[in-house]
Parts: sequence; C-alpha cells; structure tokens
Amino acid sequence: MTLDRWLSRLPLDSPSAFMKQVPTIVGFAIAALIAALPNGVPITNAPLFLAGIALVVVATVFSLIIPWRHLHPEWAVVIPVLSLLAVGLLRLGTGSSASPFVVLTLLPFVWIASEAGRINILIASLTTFVVLLAPLVVDGATRSAGDVVRAFFSPVIYLIVAIVINEIAHRMRVQLAAAREAGDRQETLLAQAVQAQDELVLNEARLKTANRLIQSIWNAVTEQSVIGTDLDGLIDVWNPGAEKMLGLTEKQVLDGKYHIIDFHLSSELAERLQDMDARFTTVSSTDDFSALVDTVRAGSADVRDWTYVRPDGKRVVVQVAATPRIDENGHRVGFIFVATDMTEAREFARLKDEFVGLISHELRTPLSSILGYLELLRDDDEDPLSEEQLQYLAVAERNAHRLLRLVGDLLFTAQVESGRFPLDIKDVELNTVVAASVESARPVAANAGVTLVAEVPDHTVDVRGDTLRLGQAVDNLVSNALKFTPSGGTVTVALRHEGDEAVIAVRDTGIGIPAVELSQLSQRFFRASTATRNAVPGVGLGLTITKAIVTAHGGRLDIASEEGVGTSISIVLPVETPRPVTEAIPHVEVAP
Amino acid sequence: MSERKRVVIADDDDDIRGLMTIAANRAGVEIVAAVDNGSAALAAVQAGGIDLAVLDISMPGLNGVEVAEAIRADDGTRSTLILMVSASVQLLTDHGVVADRSDSFIVKPFSPRVLSTRIREMLELGEPA
Repeated sequence: MTLDRWLSRLPLDSPSAFMKQVPTIVGFAIAALIAALPNGVPITNAPLFLAGIALVVVATVFSLIIPWRHLHPEWAVVIPVLSLLAVGLLRLGTGSSASPFVVLTLLPFVWIASEAGRINILIASLTTFVVLLAPLVVDGATRSAGDVVRAFFSPVIYLIVAIVINEIAHRMRVQLAAAREAGDRQETLLAQAVQAQDELVLNEARLKTANRLIQSIWNAVTEQSVIGTDLDGLIDVWNPGAEKMLGLTEKQVLDGKYHIIDFHLSSELAERLQDMDARFTTVSSTDDFSALVDTVRAGSADVRDWTYVRPDGKRVVVQVAATPRIDENGHRVGFIFVATDMTEAREFARLKDEFVGLISHELRTPLSSILGYLELLRDDDEDPLSEEQLQYLAVAERNAHRLLRLVGDLLFTAQVESGRFPLDIKDVELNTVVAASVESARPVAANAGVTLVAEVPDHTVDVRGDTLRLGQAVDNLVSNALKFTPSGGTVTVALRHEGDEAVIAVRDTGIGIPAVELSQLSQRFFRASTATRNAVPGVGLGLTITKAIVTAHGGRLDIASEEGVGTSISIVLPVETPRPVTEAIPHVEVAP
Repeated sequence: MSERKRVVIADDDDDIRGLMTIAANRAGVEIVAAVDNGSAALAAVQAGGIDLAVLDISMPGLNGVEVAEAIRADDGTRSTLILMVSASVQLLTDHGVVADRSDSFIVKPFSPRVLSTRIREMLELGEPA
C-alpha cells in the first residue's frame, strides 16, 4: 500500500476527536522519550511530570470512548483543554519556565481555537494563560523579571493567535458549508437532469409512436383528399387520397408550387364570390382564394360542394370541409381542405329522385282516374245516385283521398330522406298560418266533439320560412292532437314569442304517449303504443314530416306527454336567421 | 251560333285521357284529337286551327314539355294555348316549365269539374248552357 493511498484513507476532512488528539499524543510521546534519554531534558518534578502524562492519557481515552459525534460535539473541546493542562503539568515537571516542552501548548491550543464559536477563543486563551502562568505560581521564589514579562506577554500573543485561527477556521467552515451546499445543489441538478433525460427518452418514444399512428392514418386516408395550404393558398400538404383523387404525386405538387385554386373550376369560384358579395357576408377580399376560405377566415368551418379539376381535365364533384390550420401557439398559419368524392352520392341522389318521380307518377295516375270517375258518378245529373249509393261513394272517395295523402307523405318522406326537398323561403306571418290550420280543422274537431282553441297574440309573429310547409307542419300536429283526444277533450293551439324564438304549441287532453316512447316519436312509421291500443288511424309519418320541416327551418320540436293526461308538442322556430336557411341546414334546397 | 273552340288532348293513360275528354266535352269545346303520345299531339296541333292543347308531361316519345316547346317555336302554332298536366308538382315547377312553356297547369289527381272550368276560363267561354 502506498503512502498516498494510506493517507487517503485517513478521515482528515472530518476528523474524529481521537484523530485531533493524535498530534498531542505524538508530541507527548516524543517529550517523554526525550526526558527519558540520559542527556535529555531533566525531570525536575517527577510527580507533576507523571501527572501530565496521566492527564493526557485520560484525555486520549476520553477521545476514544465517548461518542462525541452523537453527544454535543462542542463539548469535545474538553479533550484539548485537558491536554493543555497536561502540557502545563509536563512543563512544571521538566524545568518549569525553562522547559522546552512548552511548545506542546500549540497542539491543543490550535484545536480549541479552531473549533466553532467565539467562546473557544476565550477558552484557548484562558487555558493557555493558566499553563504559562503556572510556573510563576509554583516556582514563585525563583521567577525572574523576564519570566514575569514572558508569562503575561505570551498569553496576549496566544489570544491574538486564537482570534486569527478561530476566524480562519470560521471562514473555512463557511466556505466548506457553501461548497457542500453547492455540491448538494449540483447533485440535485444532476438528478433532475437524469430524470429529465429519462422523460425526454420516454416522450421521444411516445412521439415516435404518435408519429407512426398519424402516418398510418395519413396513409390509410385514400378515399378523401387532404390538402394543406399556407395563408395564401400555396399547397404544402398532399395526402395519398389527394394523389388518388387528383392524379398528382406529393412531390409533383410540392415541386410544382401548386395553388389550391389550380384544382378548382374558376367559374364556380367566381359564382361563389358573386354570391358572397350579394349576401353582404364578411368578404375580406375578392380574390379567387377568398371564395374558398372567407368563411374560415371569419372563424367558422366551411362545408361546401365544389368541383375539382384534375390536370388531365377530368372533373370530380366533391364536398370540401375547409378548416383553419393552427400552429403550436394557436395562430392560424394556413388552411386544411378535406374533400370527399361525391360522384357516387350524387348519382345515387339522382337515381333516387328519378325513382321518386316515377313513383309519384305511377301512384298518382290511377288515383287520378279513381277520384275523377267517382266525381263523375256523383255529378251525373241525368241519372242521380240514391242516398245509399252516395254514401258508398263518399266512403270510396274518402279512402281514395286517404291513399292520396299517404302517397304524398311517402313521397315527401323520400325527399326528406334524400336530403332534397324544396323550400320557398319568404317572410311568414305565423298568426295567419296558425289561424288557417285551426279553421280548416274545425269541422273535424266538431265531428269528434273536441273543443278547438286558438291562442294567437294581437301582435304579429314573423319568421323566415316556407308558408306552405310550415302550414303542413301545424296541420299535422293539430290533426294528430284531434285524433288522439277523446270526445269532450280540448285541443289548444297557442302562438307566442319566447325570446328570439317563435313557438307554436299544440296541446291536447288526449290519451298521451308513454315516456319511454317519446324519443322514437319522430322516427318513420313509428306509432305510439297508446295509438295502436286505441285503434287511432295513421301510419306514423306525420311527426317525421313535421320534424323534417321544422329542422329545415333551423328550428326544433319540443315534445312533452303524460299517458292519460295529454300531449304538448311545440314547434320552436328562430325569429331571426342571420344566414339563409340553406346555410344553416345542409342538403335543403331553396326554390329560386 | 259561334264556332266551337278546338282542343287537342294528350295523355298516355287511357282512363285519364277519357276523363280529360269528358271534362272538355262538358266545357263545350270540340275535341279535335285525343291521343296517347306527344308526337301525335304535335302533329294534331300543327295541322292548324287548334285553340288549346291539354298536355300530360310524362308521355312516351315526345313528352309534354317537348311538344310545348315545338308549339311555341312554330309561328303557325304559337298562339295555341297550352294547359300542362302532371302528377308531379316538381316536374311542373322545375326548369320553368310553367313559366316559359305553358299558359296554365293542373296537378293530378284533378277534379273533372275543375278541369272543365279551367278550359272554359282559358278559352274565355261563358258558363255552359
């Protein structure tokens, strides 16, 4: 083992009481050795000499056996104090003032002075003062003037040295504490850095997983084109769906600096700009690109039908959802256009329209014959029918009309299903609509023995809508209410304003609808169990149609019912429609 | 007694055509032709002297709209009044059929009484004797 490695094992940076005592022990051992030599320092007082040796041994034993670190560490100063007194005894035993062993004083003195606390300066100085002054007391008769001066002068010097040592030790302790604190801080920072690195690795793994997922989704979207542009419309995102739909690869588009409007029909863009201008929308500029994104710039997503034009000239009918593209700071940096090929959907709608038209013709034509010839029978003045025959005729006519209504309802439902039924949007005075419905239902109500009440306010309630369709909706509700209300009951049709909404509430005192069936009421062909149980005629299309009409006007149906008490169905319509109804409700056409 | 107004009727459904014929007879007009297709109807109108053509829209060959366009395009027949009949309101209102190509329209199912009255109104005839 090398000296360096041996020394490195010594706990010199944090010495125990015993380690601090070692230099004193060594000093005493050397002194004892010198005193024992034949020509060494003579022992003038053997008891004091031995007492000094014994005292330093006791101090050393204390340093070994007492667990100073666990007690009050500052009390360990007792050991150098005892050692200092031992030096005093040693000195008295080896020539008193003339003893060369006074130099041993330095070892415990430095220990005491270097301990923390100013009190140790006093302890070191006073103990040293006692040691140095002892010969004067013990050898009082033999002291010289020089001895006296040295005895009083030396403690003063020791006091100054004690102050200096204490201060230096204090500063070193402060620096050591600061160094330790810095070390601790560095350790903490290192631990944090390691943790941050671990999190970074974890996040990187997550990011890779997310990127792979996005990439998979991105590659999987082959039936919709996703095109991203900057704020000016220059394309910088082009998915596989766009490649398939428009016949250009991502590289071709990005290298070719294509603009989104390069794939649009210019006539459609011009038409849209004209339309925007006509409707005083928030047209921020009038370039072609604005036709695509003006609504998005105003803060809303925009879903609209367009025609894409491929580089080979082929056209693709698409429905495009345009949305803002947002960066990590929430700023809009461009636009995203997600387009769905509507070619098949349009063809399907066209076929459905054709089918509806065909059915319309094929069902109405025989009904036309039936009703027409029945009327001829009734109007035959030359050979009039008997009363009984006229009654039979009335039954046939009533059922033919019923069939005609059913055909009409079915056709209308088919139009609603296909998302295409015409609305003639104008200013509508609901007071007139409600009054007309109530008046036309009065004969039926009278026959059924039901009281029909209209509650219409004096002021007019106006909305934007289709008069005929809204009338049809109210007719349906009133007709239903009359059918479901037993004789002696009451049907009330109330019109009122509620905030920004107009409400037409049709209340009856009828058989009601079970609560569990309320949500199914507006489904096609659904009939409430109370209706089938009470054999109320109908096929379950009235509310479907009513709901479709109301929804197309941007309104809603509120339904409340209690079995055996009655039902209240309200048509709630917006009074002010800031945008044309077609904008608010997709797939509804407005008649020119 | 003034000369009776001359009318051509066209509908591919025999029963409906019969009903139209009865209604027209009750209006007191002369039925020059009651045919089941557009081409025959156009030929009858182009033969001249026809005051009113009652045309169903959905017919084989030339449909009612095409017959009406041909009548309007011909100087010799432009003055002939056209009454369009269809089971589909949409067919009547789409593409300006009523506005551009006919003078009046009636929706199936129609009342023979109403058709008779409409024919008399269009031809400015008085009440039947």
